[in-house]
Amino acid sequence: MGVGTQRLDFAEFYRRSRDECLRTVLVSVGDQDTAQDLVAEAFARAWASWRTVSRHPAPAAWVVRTALNANISRWRRRRREVAVPDPATVADLPAMDDVPGSLIDSQIMTAVLRLPARQRQVIALRLVLDLDTGRTAEVLGIAPGTVGAHLARATATLRGELMPARQQETSP
Amino acid sequence: MNDDRLTTVHDDELATAVKGSLTGVHMNTPLETIVGRGRAVRTRRRIPGLAGALAVLAAAALAVGVLLPASHQASMRLAAWTVARQGDGTIKVTIRQLRDPAGLQHTLRADGVPASVTFFRTENPACRNIPKPSVRLTEKVIHPREYGRSDVVILLHPQALPGGAGVFIGVGYDRLGGKKGLAFVAGLVQATPRCTGG
Repeated sequence: MGVGTQRLDFAEFYRRSRDECLRTVLVSVGDQDTAQDLVAEAFARAWASWRTVSRHPAPAAWVVRTALNANISRWRRRRREVAVPDPATVADLPAMDDVPGSLIDSQIMTAVLRLPARQRQVIALRLVLDLDTGRTAEVLGIAPGTVGAHLARATATLRGELMPARQQETSP
Repeated sequence: MNDDRLTTVHDDELATAVKGSLTGVHMNTPLETIVGRGRAVRTRRRIPGLAGALAVLAAAALAVGVLLPASHQASMRLAAWTVARQGDGTIKVTIRQLRDPAGLQHTLRADGVPASVTFFRTENPACRNIPKPSVRLTEKVIHPREYGRSDVVILLHPQALPGGAGVFIGVGYDRLGGKKGLAFVAGLVQATPRCTGG
């Protein structure tokens, strides 16, 4: 594949998957600026290794995994300087729509961000990026059964917070 | 029906709600920026001794001939490096030869930019990242202006420097595509006496 063809191929991949990757990482890390930064870096790394990444069975999953790994590296670097609380440990999260210009549904995102980190990642990969259990397990480096357990706990929590009325209606 | 199918059926409404809550979120980084950062990633891989948020290869031909001493005057030709304040407040750093990094560091500091400057793949181990390192923030402060020529030109925006932060610039020779040239990495660090001097 020539350089020009590679560039076109990568441009199409970027156009097609950038928003989904950003949304997936946003759900995982909880901060839009950080997510933008991480996803941009991950796509840059994808372009730097495009010959390899383009042959990956799920290049978008590669980008998300790279972004999440980069976030861990950032956090480890930052940890030496300042303690950064996990969003799930913050009792009173600011409503997302309190931020000027935010187009995120605050109720849903606040509920998602209250989940433990691993549950947020599973929700992001399964529900936002539409990965199957096997690919999700691969991205997160955990067993498929663990993915299922995290997903079950997360969805139960979210249903309880977001759909209480419907749950009451369907309860016997 | 496998577990994925089961999950999909039960979580369909929830997935729709979560996805729907994010429809206003869009990646707004231009493709050109991504591709440029990709080139920087390749360069970082080739200079393992230098860590930073921003890296650019200047595939410059090796300067030959006798160079004049380093200078603060932009008008001096063929100085090893020059520092010039622009009309808009930015500072233009031109590096042609890897000499007198301490002098360049001192000159930048005199122009209001706490800096740690190292040459030949070395780093000041006393330097620490700023508390919230961000490529976006780094790119607001540091702009690679020219490369692929016989020198490296970097534009610094002192007004964009966060409080207590300084600039790290590391320059060395590298070989890319069989051609040896100047490469640099740069990033934001905590401005401390042991890192940026002063």
